[in-house]
Amino acid sequence: MRIVVCVKQVLDPELPQRDFRLDPDGKEAAPGRASRVISTFDEIALEVALQLREKAGGGQVTALTLGGKPAEEALRKALAMTADAAVRVDDDGLGAPGEGLGRLDGFAVAAVLAAAIRRLGGADLVLCGRQAADTDAGQVGLLLAEELGVPTVASAVSGEPAGEAVRLKRETPGGYEVVEARLPALATVTNADVNVPRIPKVKDVMASFKKPLTVWTAADLGVDPAATAPRVALRRLFIPERETACEMVGGDSPEAQAEALAERILALKVLETRGWRHAGAGLRFRPGGGAGQAASGTDRRRPRPGGVPGR
Amino acid sequence: MAAATREVYWNVGPVWPMYLMFAAALAVFGHGFYHRHYKLWRLGRAERRGASPRERLRGLALYALAQLRVLRDRYSGVFHLLFSWGIAVLTVGTLVVMVHQDFGIPVMRGRFYLYFQSLTLDIFGLLAMAGVAMAAAKRYLIRPDRLNTNAMDGLALGALFVILAQGFALEGLRIAATGDPWAAWSPIGSAIAAGVKALGWSVETARAWHAALWWSHAALAFAAIAALPWTKAFHLVTGPANIYFRSLEPKGALRPLDLEASETLGAARLTDFSVKDLFDLSACMECGRCQQACPAYNTGKPLSPKMVILDLRGHLREAGPGLLAARRRGGAAGAGGGDGAGGSAGAHAGAGTGGAAGVGGVAGAGPQAGEGPSPLIGQVIAEETLWSCTTCRACMTECPVFIEHVPKIIDLRRYLVMERSDFPPGMQEAMRGLEARGHPFRGATASRSDWYRDLGVPEMAEVGDAREIDVLHWAGCAAAFDERNQRVARAFARVMQRAGVRFAVLGPEENCTGDPARRIGHEYLFQVLARQNIATLQGYGVTRIVTACPHCFNTLKNEYPRFGGEFEVIHHSRFIARLLAEGRLRLSDGAGAGAARRLTYHDPCYLGRYNDTYDEPRAVLDRLPGSERVEMTRSRDRGFCCGGGGGRAWLEETGARINHARAGEAVGTGADTIAAACPFCLMMLEDGVKARQGEREVSVRDLAELVEETTRPREAGKGGGGGADGEGGGGGGH
Repeated sequence: MRIVVCVKQVLDPELPQRDFRLDPDGKEAAPGRASRVISTFDEIALEVALQLREKAGGGQVTALTLGGKPAEEALRKALAMTADAAVRVDDDGLGAPGEGLGRLDGFAVAAVLAAAIRRLGGADLVLCGRQAADTDAGQVGLLLAEELGVPTVASAVSGEPAGEAVRLKRETPGGYEVVEARLPALATVTNADVNVPRIPKVKDVMASFKKPLTVWTAADLGVDPAATAPRVALRRLFIPERETACEMVGGDSPEAQAEALAERILALKVLETRGWRHAGAGLRFRPGGGAGQAASGTDRRRPRPGGVPGR
Repeated sequence: MAAATREVYWNVGPVWPMYLMFAAALAVFGHGFYHRHYKLWRLGRAERRGASPRERLRGLALYALAQLRVLRDRYSGVFHLLFSWGIAVLTVGTLVVMVHQDFGIPVMRGRFYLYFQSLTLDIFGLLAMAGVAMAAAKRYLIRPDRLNTNAMDGLALGALFVILAQGFALEGLRIAATGDPWAAWSPIGSAIAAGVKALGWSVETARAWHAALWWSHAALAFAAIAALPWTKAFHLVTGPANIYFRSLEPKGALRPLDLEASETLGAARLTDFSVKDLFDLSACMECGRCQQACPAYNTGKPLSPKMVILDLRGHLREAGPGLLAARRRGGAAGAGGGDGAGGSAGAHAGAGTGGAAGVGGVAGAGPQAGEGPSPLIGQVIAEETLWSCTTCRACMTECPVFIEHVPKIIDLRRYLVMERSDFPPGMQEAMRGLEARGHPFRGATASRSDWYRDLGVPEMAEVGDAREIDVLHWAGCAAAFDERNQRVARAFARVMQRAGVRFAVLGPEENCTGDPARRIGHEYLFQVLARQNIATLQGYGVTRIVTACPHCFNTLKNEYPRFGGEFEVIHHSRFIARLLAEGRLRLSDGAGAGAARRLTYHDPCYLGRYNDTYDEPRAVLDRLPGSERVEMTRSRDRGFCCGGGGGRAWLEETGARINHARAGEAVGTGADTIAAACPFCLMMLEDGVKARQGEREVSVRDLAELVEETTRPREAGKGGGGGADGEGGGGGGH
């Protein structure tokens, strides 16, 4: 089975909020010191492809990306995860002028990727992450299926070969469903326990630096740059302002502090007051009791898994 | 007095059968030595351990002759000293007989005969018997958990006791039968002779018993020598050798791994260990001191350093001969390169266990593709055992014969992490973080520059050249990303500012030193990070580094030199101690810091045991006005780990928690402040103290914080949070 996985390189979604900057032109996140990683769902798609190859007892997994030279790092990571081949389509000169996020829209990206897949000689199965970790648009996969004229299954979590078809599992709120798609087909992939991306083995990491990368330009693919002009224009990109105020509640004893806090909460009218006063008067604040559990250091060191939107 | 002597080989008839017995004993010993030990050691990879013989001999004197390590357990040390030296002196006495009789050098006479050959031997014989009795009492009456007792132990102690007793009986019978005029110099023998006389034995009876006893004494002694290779008394031979060949590398430096040249990364089988690793296995005498000191074992984790060694040894004896045979057949397939570079894709297809790949923990115990025969992990050593180690080095500090437990555990981890990518999810997250962001703290909301943003601390990028500063402050990831430790970093920076130290930070250019990666077993990631950091530091011409993190300190100081990074690295405890000693910091007279305070200091493993820094942190604490310092029972090189080392900070603990145990010990001293000198200890102990809250208010503070508050300028020192020192701003406000 020949599988192509489309991967996008994005700024680290775990970049601390305060380090997140926008370019002065206002249409692009400034890379700054942020690291670049494979978009979360794309890495998962890669894992699903590798598992499919294992289940089929062979096959070829090709990682395909559209981007500049730095995007090759995402391809190296894919090769380290044991993808068999990697292709970068250079985005130079495509789309609207400038560098911003609005430069290429989903239509254009799908068109270029489709051209690359055709140039590869087609694929039995194309896998895409269900949405990119930066734009969250969730369009390219479906548009690409349209471009290639193949059936598509959205939000698959795993697959297995089934003769001339692929059997895909989709998670649903009440359980899961299994669908079969005639090949060639395309599926977008979402996260599940069974497709946590593997950590590459060190030997594979070292070998990935020796594997060849294929680089194509738009011209190689016969793509007319003019046809990649965005049909959806990005007008404004901004970080929402959020005002926070911190206020210290005074008091000499824990009881007095609790009293003052309750007063303040009531004054701010963020709680309904029915019976509050009465119940509050009966509360005894035990110094130190329970506060420790509320903010355990374990929580502090390992905050909730983040970075996977929509989980 | 010059005539003093005795007849050698009196009453024993022809002596030649004894030499025959001795030769037989040596032959049996040689056979056991070769087949049970020597040939198995040679399964290991070559390792050179011969350099600096003087230093090695010094160690031999301190640890084999003076037995300083054995004496760390006072009772056991004393009895071991008694019977080991007793036996040594008695053996010399026996050799004196040989020199006298066989070499024909008449040494056994006069003063030497009386002082040494009579009196000294009697005293040492008696002491040795007392030692054996004490040992038996320890093993059978006191019964510490660290000792596992089987029939062999009773047999060995019994034989030793009998051999010694036979010696005295022989002496007594000889004196009784010959009326030795110099008998007074052999007090024990004389006493026994008196007893024999009291029994009314005739000279003939005494002679008959003497002859029989003499031959059985010889037979038993030779049998003991012959049996050595089959018993743990073999450490008589391997112990001193192991001490001689101990590692002279800095304690904090794990052995590097050549990632390009190594056929297998880490240890999958016995043959991946070095000769010295396998030699270690023969040196273990199962005293269990490692286990007694192990924080994991003491909190019910599935790890005992002793059992790691014994399990490996058991496996070596079981599988070793087969591996040797395979190697002799010339089969590289057997012991050699099963999993060469030949196609990782194939290995994948073979080992793929479906969806479980990469999730870890569920992988079957069966041999994996490319592991060859006798895989260790899962079969001999459980994965949970390996992940339970905090690398605190307590085991290695206690071991009387310098067995190296931690490097073996790390080698096994290296295999799991780098060859199988099979390690606990918490650690995986930390490693992903190191790879993508250069720090192991998943989900951190702060950036590296947050903690010093309002302190006027310059970054190296602004300073440009390290000649402009006195020292580079290596903050470390914990200080940058953990809110609690940001406060420590701020306190230390203020202390340096008050002392007029010109310093800068790398800020966003700093990466994790790689310590967690290295200890988890991800040598590749460690080396990538180390090279990056060394390049950054050298780019600015940095020569001096100060850091508040003992893990960073250890790695920068002891591990970077192997990768070309030579820096003078100082831990902040020593740095502050020096500032105080030089009078560069003005301590308030206690008015600001408040009333009297009881402090106890927790030794971080990577500062104490790994880098022998015990006094400087205490010196700093002792200068704090109005403070009284108390020690925990387990302190200094016996300090009990907080549970956060070796990558354990990123794993949940099951069952009793190490940090809770340690916090309980600290609180038990009656201290109201626990002083720490390590960000991980601080986090772990604070957690531990919180879990016990309700008992008593106890705070956990870093040294730098304690110094900061006593050096705070007066005008800012009044209210709680006011003034220039408004805390909390350093952390993530949202």
